[in-house]
Amino acid sequence: MTTDLHENWTELSGYVHKAMKMLEKQSVSLAEAFFTSPQSTEVVVRNSEILTQNRAGDAGVGFRVSVKGNKVGFACTNSISERTVNEAAKNALHIAKVSSEIKSFALPEPNPIKKLKGLFDTRVEEASIEDIVELAKRGIDAAEGYDKRVIVKAGRVSYMSGWRGVVNTLGVDCEERETKTLIYLGASGKQNGEVTSSCADYMFKRTATLNPEAVGTNAAKTAISLFHSKPVVSFQGTVVFGPEAVSYQLFDALTDTLKGENVASGRSFWSKKTGKAVASENLTIEDNALLEDGFSSRSFDDEGYPSQKTVLVRRGKLESFLHSATTANLLKTDNTGNASRYSGGMNMARAIVGNGYRAKPEIHPSNLVIQHGRKSKEQIVREIDRGVLVDSMAGFAQLGSGMISAQLSTSFYIEKGEIKHPIKGGMVSGVAFDWFKQVSEVGNDSKQFVDSVVPSLKVENVKVIGS
Amino acid sequence: MNLRGQKRRITLCTVKNNVIEDYSNIALTGMSARALVDDRSWGFSSTNMLTPRSVEGALANAIKLAKASSRFKKKRIELTATKAVEKNVRAPVKRKLQEISAEDIVNIPFEAYRGVKDVGREVADAKATYIGIEDEKYFLSSEGSRIRQTITRVLLMVEIIAKSSGTICPASENLGHSGGLELFDKTPPRSLGSRVAKKAVELLKAKAPPSGKQRVVVHPTLCATLLHEAIGHPLEADLAMSGGGFGDQTGKLVSSKLVTIYDDGRVQNGLGYFPYDDEGIGCKRTVLIENGVLKSFMHDRTSASIAGVFPTGNAHAWDYSVEPLIRQTNIGIQAGDYSLEEMIESVQNGLYLEGTFGGQADVNADFTFGFQNARWIRRGELAEELRGANVAGNAIEVFKTIDAVGKEAILRPGACGKLQYAIQGRVVPAIRCEIMVGGTGR
Repeated sequence: MTTDLHENWTELSGYVHKAMKMLEKQSVSLAEAFFTSPQSTEVVVRNSEILTQNRAGDAGVGFRVSVKGNKVGFACTNSISERTVNEAAKNALHIAKVSSEIKSFALPEPNPIKKLKGLFDTRVEEASIEDIVELAKRGIDAAEGYDKRVIVKAGRVSYMSGWRGVVNTLGVDCEERETKTLIYLGASGKQNGEVTSSCADYMFKRTATLNPEAVGTNAAKTAISLFHSKPVVSFQGTVVFGPEAVSYQLFDALTDTLKGENVASGRSFWSKKTGKAVASENLTIEDNALLEDGFSSRSFDDEGYPSQKTVLVRRGKLESFLHSATTANLLKTDNTGNASRYSGGMNMARAIVGNGYRAKPEIHPSNLVIQHGRKSKEQIVREIDRGVLVDSMAGFAQLGSGMISAQLSTSFYIEKGEIKHPIKGGMVSGVAFDWFKQVSEVGNDSKQFVDSVVPSLKVENVKVIGS
Repeated sequence: MNLRGQKRRITLCTVKNNVIEDYSNIALTGMSARALVDDRSWGFSSTNMLTPRSVEGALANAIKLAKASSRFKKKRIELTATKAVEKNVRAPVKRKLQEISAEDIVNIPFEAYRGVKDVGREVADAKATYIGIEDEKYFLSSEGSRIRQTITRVLLMVEIIAKSSGTICPASENLGHSGGLELFDKTPPRSLGSRVAKKAVELLKAKAPPSGKQRVVVHPTLCATLLHEAIGHPLEADLAMSGGGFGDQTGKLVSSKLVTIYDDGRVQNGLGYFPYDDEGIGCKRTVLIENGVLKSFMHDRTSASIAGVFPTGNAHAWDYSVEPLIRQTNIGIQAGDYSLEEMIESVQNGLYLEGTFGGQADVNADFTFGFQNARWIRRGELAEELRGANVAGNAIEVFKTIDAVGKEAILRPGACGKLQYAIQGRVVPAIRCEIMVGGTGR
C-alpha cells in the first residue's frame, strides 16, 4: 500500500509541475496548484461491535489562476494523468477569464519554511488493518469492562497518512508528509430501563500513540455519572463549560469573528476593536500552527505560507485576526498563515464539493489555543455556590451574531461546591461574545481537539433554562 | 461483492457582495469495492486511480478488511437473494446544464445578489451560491446486477447578514431539486434573493423570542428539519437497532394519530430522487408511521436480513469513496386538513416558527434546532415579529402533541451529515404542537 502512495505522489507532482509550466506561458497573473495524496484506514464501531472497516485513497489537484484585473478561477481533478491534470489547469484559466475581480487577490511570496518535526510517524503509515481493529476492540473492552452498565454506542478509529504540496508562480514550491490518528468512543449507561444519553471521549494524535483504554474508560465514567438525572429550574448564574463544550459552540463563534474575511466585510462582531478589550482579562487566545503534537500543526499553510504562532487575544485585548495572503493584502496587515482547505463548518456548498484539493482555501485556525489557567475543573466547581457544569451541549452558535442556545447533554447541577445531580433536559442561552467577557476562571484541563486546544471556562451570569 | 463506479462533475459559482468569490469546476472519478465475507463481515475500499492495478488493489483490500474483524462479529448476515437488475436510467431533466455557457452561469448567483440589493443598505453581507451536480453512477454485483444511473441536481443558496447599529441578523434559504435549470423558471433567483434579504432586514427591528414550553405552529421549512433529524433518524434501522427512540415498537401507537410519515426515493424532482439505491435495490414509497402507528423502519440489505424483512432501498452513499449507509431519500409527512389560518386561529398564546438553521438530534430523538424567525400568536392572530433562536426537546414526545397537520405539503431541499454527507428531499406541511423554545427574551 505505502509504495503506491509514494509512487502516486511522485507521478502527481510531476504532472502538476508540468501544468504549472504550461500556465506560466499563458497570460496568467498568478497561478497556484495545491495537491494531495492521502490515504486513510478507518474502523467504525456501533453498538459494542465493529461495524465496518474502510480504506480510501483520493489523490487530486486544485488549480487557482488569476488573470488581468484579479479575476480568479478554480478547477480541480482527481483523475491523474498528464492530460487530465493539464485540462484542470486550463479549465481554471478559462473560468478566471469569465470571472469578476477579487480585490487584493494575492498568493504568498516564497518565504523560508522551517520543517516542523513530529508531523509524521512511519508506524501510522505502515499499520495493518488488524492493528487498527485491535485499537477499536481495546477501546470497547475498556469502556464496557469499566462497568457492566456501559454500552459503547458509537465510535471510530482512524489512521490517516499522506502528502500535501503547494506550488505557485511566485516561487513557492513546498511539500510535506504527514500522519494523523484519532479515536472517538461514545458510551451510554443502562440500568433498570434508564438509558443515559451518549457520552463521548476523544483523542487526537499525530503518531501511533492512541490510548484506547483511556478514551474508553473516560467515556464509561461519564456515562454512568448520568444516572438519576433531574430537571433544573431556570436561573441566571454561573456555568462551567468543559473543554468539549468550549471546542464546539464557543470555538465556532470565536473562529467566525476572528476570520480576516469577516473583518473585511464588516460582519465580524470584533471588527474595528483591535487593541480594545473584547473578553475577560482571564482570556489569552492564540493560533499556533507550530504546536508540538498539535493535530493541525504544519510547516506551512494551504497556500504555502510558513507556519507561525499568532496571539489573537492577550489578557482580554484583541491583538490580531486570522489571515490568508488575500485578506492580509486587503487589510494591509501581515499574513498569519491561516489559509486552510480543510475548514469544517456547516456550509452546504463546501460539504457538497468536499475539501482538500477540491476547494480553494478559506481562513481557519490551525490549533486555536485558549491558554489554560491554574485550577482544576474540580477546584472550580468546589468554589461555586450554585451553578451548572456543562461538559457537552447540543446546538450551535449562530454565526454573525454569536447567539448560542444549546440543549444540555452531559451536564450537572452544582450546589454549595458539590455536584448534586446530572441534568435532564434544559438549555443554556446567550451570546458567546458576552460570555467571553464574563469568563471568571480558566481551568488547567486543556484538551486537544481537531483544530483547538481548550480548557474549561467558568462563565458568570449565563441564562439556564429549566425544563 | 459489489462494485460501484462514479463520474461526478460539479460547477459551483458563489457571488459574495457583488464579487465572484468562488468559481469552481470539480471533476471527480473513482470506484469502490465492497465485500461480504463469512456471512458476517463487510469490508470496503475505494480509489480514484482507475488503473487495473489500483482497482484490483481495492478489490483485494475490501476482502482483507472484511476478514480483519470477521471473528469479532456477533451477528450473522444472510442477505435475501435479489433479482439481478439490468437497467440504464436517467432522471428527467428539462433544461440541461450544458444549455448555458461558463459566462452565463455567473448570472444565476448575480441575479440573486441583485435581488438582495433591491432590498436596501442594511444588508452587511450577502452570498449566493449556484451548484450544478451531474452524476453518472455504475453498480455491479456478483449477483448479476448491472445498473447505470444518470442524475442531475441543481441548487441555489442565499445567505444574508443584516446589520444596523450593533445588531446582527442572519437569514438564509436554499432552493434545490433533481432536474435541470428549470428550477429557476418557478422561482427566479432574483426573487429568492429579495425574499431572504427582506426577512433579515425585518428581523433587525424584531425582539428576541421568549423561552420555555410554547404552543407553536411550525412552518414547513422548520418542520422539514424536525422531521428529518428527530423523527427520520430514529426510523433508520441501524440507529433504531442500537436502541434508539423507536426500537421494538412496531405496530404500536408512537405518535399523534394525525401523523403519517413515509420515505419515497421516487418523488419527482426531490433532491433525494434515486431509482435504485447503492445496493441495487429499487427505491419506493415506504410507509414508516401510519396514523400514529409504527409500521416500518428504513433498511439496507444488512439490517433487513437481521430484522427478517425486505430491504427498502435506503442504502445510499454520498459518492464512490464511501460505503452505503441507511439514509433517508425524500422523507414526508402526509398532508392533513388544516389551512395555515385555521391552525393559527385556535392558538390563544403561542408562536409561529419559521425557517431553519439546521440542528442536531441523537438516536433517542433528543434534538436542538435553530429557527430563523418567529411571530407571536395572540388570540388566534399573528402578532409582532420575533428573531430566531433554538427549539429543543424530544421529537417523539413533541410529535405526540401534534393536533393539526397542514393541508399543503411542499417539497424542500435538505442535507444530512450522518457519518458522510447527503442531499435529500423532504415533503412537509405545517404542523401544530408543543415545543421548548430557548429564546433570550420574555
